[in-house]
Amino acid sequence: MANQSFTKSVLKKTTIGIIIGVILVIAAQQTHFPLVFQVMFFIYAMLGALVFILLDAPPMKRLEGVKAVAALLVFYVLLSGMYIAGATILPQYDPTIEAGKIEKVLKMRKARSQQGKADELIARTKELDERAKTISKLLRSLGAGAQVEAVATSTSGGAAASGDIVALGKEQWELQECYNCHKLFGSGGKKRGPVMDNIGNLMTPEQLREKLLYPKKWKAEGFDKQYKKGKMPDKYRDLMFDEEIDALVAFLASLKDTSVTTPKPIKMY
Amino acid sequence: MKTLHRSIWMVFGLLIGGAALAYGQVPDAPTVNFPYAGNRTAVWVVANLHILFAAFILGAPIFVVVAEWLGYKNNDPKYDRLAKEVIKVTVILYSMTALTGGLFLFVLLGTYPDFSTWLIKHFFLVFAVIYPLLFILETVILYTYFYSWDSMKGPLKGRHIALGILLNIVGTVTLFVIDGPTSFMNTPAKAAEGVSLVEFIQTASLWDKMANFSWMPLNLHRLVGNVTFGGFIAGLIAAYMYMRSKTDEERSYYDWMGFVGNMIGVGALLLLPFMGYLLAYELCDYDASICPYMMADQLSMFFEMQGAMIGLIFLASNYYIWLSLKRIEGVEQIRMSGFVALAVLIMPAVMGMAWKMFPPPEWQSLIFLAAIVFVPMVLGRVPGLKNFTVSAFTMIKIGFLMIVVADAIWMTPHGFVATQGLATHDLELPEWAQELALMPAKNAAAFTLVFLTIVNYIMYNRAIKRGTIIWGKIDFASQFVLIFLAFSAIWTMGLMGTVRSLTRKYYHVYNLVPDFTPEAFTPTLSYSAWWITGVTIVFYAVVSFAILVTLKPASSKAEAH
Repeated sequence: MANQSFTKSVLKKTTIGIIIGVILVIAAQQTHFPLVFQVMFFIYAMLGALVFILLDAPPMKRLEGVKAVAALLVFYVLLSGMYIAGATILPQYDPTIEAGKIEKVLKMRKARSQQGKADELIARTKELDERAKTISKLLRSLGAGAQVEAVATSTSGGAAASGDIVALGKEQWELQECYNCHKLFGSGGKKRGPVMDNIGNLMTPEQLREKLLYPKKWKAEGFDKQYKKGKMPDKYRDLMFDEEIDALVAFLASLKDTSVTTPKPIKMY
Repeated sequence: MKTLHRSIWMVFGLLIGGAALAYGQVPDAPTVNFPYAGNRTAVWVVANLHILFAAFILGAPIFVVVAEWLGYKNNDPKYDRLAKEVIKVTVILYSMTALTGGLFLFVLLGTYPDFSTWLIKHFFLVFAVIYPLLFILETVILYTYFYSWDSMKGPLKGRHIALGILLNIVGTVTLFVIDGPTSFMNTPAKAAEGVSLVEFIQTASLWDKMANFSWMPLNLHRLVGNVTFGGFIAGLIAAYMYMRSKTDEERSYYDWMGFVGNMIGVGALLLLPFMGYLLAYELCDYDASICPYMMADQLSMFFEMQGAMIGLIFLASNYYIWLSLKRIEGVEQIRMSGFVALAVLIMPAVMGMAWKMFPPPEWQSLIFLAAIVFVPMVLGRVPGLKNFTVSAFTMIKIGFLMIVVADAIWMTPHGFVATQGLATHDLELPEWAQELALMPAKNAAAFTLVFLTIVNYIMYNRAIKRGTIIWGKIDFASQFVLIFLAFSAIWTMGLMGTVRSLTRKYYHVYNLVPDFTPEAFTPTLSYSAWWITGVTIVFYAVVSFAILVTLKPASSKAEAH
C-alpha cells in the first residue's frame, strides 16, 4: 500500500517537474537564453522534482551484515562516479594552450636562471655533438676534396626575434593576460580597467611605461573605485624584463583608434 | 698508548678525507620522475592526503572538548562517551598524519629539491624549530589527554577539560604556524614601491613573510573547515556504528551521536562560504589578476563544480533535518510565522539587488540584511498578524524549493566555456541576465542557503522541545546521508585545496619563484576530479578502518567480555 502511494507520488512529482521544466525552457527561449542554459534550467526543474520525491519517500529498510557492507560499497562507487562524471561533463580547459603560453613567458626567465643555464649548456653540448657526428659522416661519405655543406642549425625564437617590436608587444599583451581587465579591439575586459583602443593618443610612451611599472601614479577617468582598490597589479616591474616592457609600451603607444572612447588618464603624483 | 691514539686519529682522519674525496667525485643523483602521474601530481596527492589527516586531528579535538564539556556541565554521560570515541579514532589517525607528513616532505624534496631548499631556508626557524617543537608538544598533550580520560574523572574532570583546551590551543597555533609558508606561496610579502620583490624577500624578516595577505584568511578558513570536517567525520563514525549496532539502546545512542556530529558540522559549515569569500577577497586584493583566473578563466569550471558540491551538501544536511523531524512525535503542532516563509521566497532577489547596489565591504547592504531577517520575526509577534502561520513541514518544503533555487543561482555561470576568452553568444548568458553570474547574485544564493538551514534548525529545536524525540528510530536512509555528507565534504576540501594551489599559476611562490617544469600548467577539471576522488577514497578507507578497529558497539563488547 505504502509502495503504491509512493509510486503515485513519484509519477505526480516527475510530471510536475517536467511541466515546470518545459515552462522554464519556453520562458528561456523567449528571453534569448542559449540552448545550453535551457537544458540547465530543465535539469534544475528535475532536480527539484527529485528532492520532493525524496521528501515523501517511505522509510528505508534497515540493512545489516554483508548487505550493509555491499550497500556501502555500491554507494561509494556511485558517489565517486557521480563526482567524476559531473566534473567531466563540464567544459574543460585545454592545458596545451596554457602550456605554450607559459613556455613563452618563462623562456627568458629560465635562460637567466641557474637551472636554465645548466639546461642550456646541456642542450648546446648535445647540439655540438650532433653537428660533429653529422660533419664526420658527411666527410666520410663525400671523400677528400668535396665541399662540406654547411650544417643547418635550428634557431629558437627566430620568429620572435625578427618580428617588429609592436608585434612582440601584442604578444606580451596576450602573455601577461592584460585582456582580462582591459577591452581592446572590441574583446576582453570585464569593466575592471579602461578600454585601451585610443591610449596611444592619450599617453606618451614614457607615461605608459610609468603607468605599467607604478600603477598608482596614474588613474583612468571614471575608475576611482578600481584605483582606490589598487586593481591594476604593481607586479610588472618585477615580473617583466626591460625588453618585454619596451615591446608592450610600443604596442600600447601604437593604439590610436579615435573612434573608440578611451577614458582619459589623470596624473596622480 | 700515545702512539696508538695518534694512529687511530690518523686512520680516522684518512677515512674522513677519503670519504669526502669519494663523495666529491660522486655524480649528482638522477632526477626523480614519478611514473604515470608525474612529479606535480605525486606532490599534490601526498599533500592532499596529509592535509586531510591533519585537518581531522586538528578539527576533531575541538569537537571532542566541546562534547566533553557539555557532558560535564549537563552531567550527561552520552557526551562523554561520544567525546571519548572520537578521540580514540583521532589518536590512531594522528600517527597517519605524521606518516603522511614525512612522506610529503620526502616526495617534495625528491621532486622539487631546489624549490624545497629555497623555502626551507626562508622559513628555517619555522621548519627546524617552531613546528617540530609544537608537534612534539601536541603529541605529548594529546596522548596525556587520551590516556588520562578514565583516571581524571569526577573532581578532576575540570582539569581534564582544561588539558583538552590546551591541546586545541597548541593545535591551533601549529595550524597558524604552518599556514605561514603555505600562504606565503600564494601571496608573498609585498615590497614597498620602488623595491624589487626579489630583493625585498631576501632581506624580509620571518614575520614579514609569515604575516602575508592571505595568512589570516587561510587560518580562519582552515580552522572553521576543520571543525566542519570533525563534525561530519563524527557523523560518519555514528553512521558506521549505527549500522553495526545490535540493540535498540546502541542504535539510540549512535542516532543521537549522528545528530550531534551533523549539527556541529553544519553549524561550522554555515560560516565556511563567508570564510572562503574572505580568502578569495584577500587573494584578489593582493593581485587583481588572480580573480579572473579563478572566476572567469582556467579555474571557472572548478568553481562551477564547487557550487554543485556546496549545493548538494546543503541539500543533504537539510534532508537529514527533515528525516530527523519526521520521527518526532507531535511535530504536526509546530508552526512558524508565514512572514518567514515569505522572506525566504523573496530573499535571493532582495539580497541580490542589495549587494548589487552596495557591494561588500559597503555597510548599507547590512540594512537590507537585517530587515529581511528580523522584520518577519517582528511581524510574527504583532497581534492580528501572528496567526498567519505555516506548518513545520510546509515551511521545510518551501525551504527545499528555495534551496534548489539558490543552488541554481549559485551554479549559473556567465558562460558554459572553460575560459571566458572562448565565450560565444550561443554559450553565454544573454545581456539582460548577466547579473545572475556576478558576485551579488552568488552572495545572495549563499546567504539564502545559510538562512534556510538556520530556520530549519530553529524549527527542529522547537520540535524537540514541544514534541517527543524517539532516538534510534530514524529512517535508515539518514545514515547514508551522514556518510554522503562526510564524503562530499572531503571531496570539496580536496577540490578547493586544488584551486588554492593552482592560483599560484606557473609559480612555486607566486610572482617570485617560477616553476620551470613542464607540468606547470592548469590541469583539466576532469583530471583533477579523478585524483581528488582517489585521495578521498584512500582517506575514507583509512578512516573506516580506524573506526572499525577502534570502536565496537557496547553489546559486542559485553559479549566478548
